[in-house]
Amino acid sequence: MNMASLAGQLLQYIVTGVTIGSIYAMVAIGFNIIYNVTEIINLAQGEFVMLGGLVMVSLHMLWKLPLIAAFPVTVVIVTGIGLLMNYAAIRPIRRPTVLTLIIATIAASMIIKGAAMLIWGTDSFDLTAFSGRTPILIAGAAIQPQYFWVIGFLVVIVAGLTFFFDKTIIGKAMSACSENAAAAQLVGIDVRWMVLLSFALSAAIGAIAGITMTPIALMDYDRGAMLAIKGFGAAVLGGLGSFPGAIVGGLMMGLIESLGAGFLWSGYKDAYALAALLIVLFIRPSGIMGNRDVIRFKRF
Amino acid sequence: MLEIRNLTAAYAAIPAIRDISLTVPEGGIVSIIGANGAGKSTLLKAISGLIQKKSGSIRFAGQDIICERANRIVARGISHVAEGRQIFAHMKVEDNIHLGAYLYHRRRHRQELQEHIRQVYEMFPVLGRRSRQIAGTLSGGEQQMLAIARALMARPKLLLLDEPSMGLAPLVVHDIFAIIQRLNQMGTTILLVEQNARAALRIAAYAYVLETGQMVLEGPAATLLTDSRVKAAYLGG
Ligand SMILES: Nc1ncnc2c1ncn2[C@@H]1O[C@H](COP(=O)(O)OP(=O)(O)OP(=O)(O)O)[C@@H](O)[C@H]1O
Ligand SMILES: [Mg+2]
Repeated sequence: MNMASLAGQLLQYIVTGVTIGSIYAMVAIGFNIIYNVTEIINLAQGEFVMLGGLVMVSLHMLWKLPLIAAFPVTVVIVTGIGLLMNYAAIRPIRRPTVLTLIIATIAASMIIKGAAMLIWGTDSFDLTAFSGRTPILIAGAAIQPQYFWVIGFLVVIVAGLTFFFDKTIIGKAMSACSENAAAAQLVGIDVRWMVLLSFALSAAIGAIAGITMTPIALMDYDRGAMLAIKGFGAAVLGGLGSFPGAIVGGLMMGLIESLGAGFLWSGYKDAYALAALLIVLFIRPSGIMGNRDVIRFKRF
Repeated sequence: MLEIRNLTAAYAAIPAIRDISLTVPEGGIVSIIGANGAGKSTLLKAISGLIQKKSGSIRFAGQDIICERANRIVARGISHVAEGRQIFAHMKVEDNIHLGAYLYHRRRHRQELQEHIRQVYEMFPVLGRRSRQIAGTLSGGEQQMLAIARALMARPKLLLLDEPSMGLAPLVVHDIFAIIQRLNQMGTTILLVEQNARAALRIAAYAYVLETGQMVLEGPAATLLTDSRVKAAYLGG
């Protein structure tokens, strides 16, 4: 193998890794939003991604809605399901503890997955790529245009959330809830409403991840769990609750997976990233960007 | 303005306060004194809605608020400066101040809000100077001022203060009490919980003594200051 083609291959794996990593980062951001407000790890986060992909497939491929219309409609539908989950699975719990709530999210994820299997069956579905499938050739690497859409949407989500949390009073109120729920109530913030909003935001971001990844990786009813594991891994790797951490963690997981599968054995691709996660946690239990004071597994 | 009758409140199964009755007249300062663990903070939390498990009645401006949630009670005009300066430590001072006025954050209130922020900074000049500092890095006294300033942003009719002097140097304590008196003169009714019983009784008109969850004594503050039991237990003989 000559040098040029090796460099091309390396670039190929890196771009692929960043793309997969962007998906993981979106899932990790979803985890963090709910975690920060409620301390719940929402294990149904992966199902939002799965639903995003499958609802989009139905709207676009079956009902022939153009992409640009199907996209927002899908996000709205999945957000609705996120809200429904909050009302049906989280609020009715009479004595909420973090552990019972997490178990409730597992139950919700099973119900969503079961319902998806009934609706879409066990087939994998493809979705039209947003800008076609003609690869762009850069320095010996052939890159799908859809990759740029995925990375672009991560950038848009991060910019949007940064604005939301830094500049709007609702965003600040949400941060206030995560910092001190009692004090937040005492300035008049309705914490239950903020929890609802956190589920809505996470579901919406999950939907975007699902929609943008489907043209690359297809989608089926059974994908949620693995996406949740990788996304959770990314969130923990970066430091649970940290948004920069979610991005760094997600991209690292994606890169390790892609480079590992490319240069080592592709059969173990799911193992590399999780092994890296374990190693980081041995060295730095709070994650890469995590603040030791802020890791709050206190109620377990 | 605030009328509490037979209030009992609990954290788990055991009530932390039992059968409390208390009245705060409009425009007054009422103090509650009591030893550690007597239930003073619990009483304030029950009033502001942080504790849900309770029975009895809490009437504010003529309406029973015992079943309301904390965020609704703030909207009614009761602000609670909780024990231990519950500021948003990772945020800037100005963000804390803005969040204090969370209920007023609508576009048409913008002008009014700016004016109100200016007034609060005028009352606490040090906060104005440090508005861009991270709140957790303020000194203890500054943090207490921020906690009070943030509560004022909600324009309370009744201010619940839980040990505002805790852990502060005598000079700063003096400042804080001066501010409390000034707020009262400007029309805010005050319910004050204090370990510093002497100072609390000096600025109050009326006071209550709480022991192991129950009211054991009440009366005009000046009378309590000379009461032998109060002297022995809370004023150091
Ligand atoms: N979150 C809680 N859960 C269970 N019990 C609590 C809780 N907070 C307080 N208590 C108990 O309720 C009782 C009253 O506590 P409270 O904080 O009201 O006392 P306090 O009069 O404010 O004391 P201090 O002067 O030390 O602040 C105490 O016995 C305390 O242990
Ligand atoms: Mg107390």
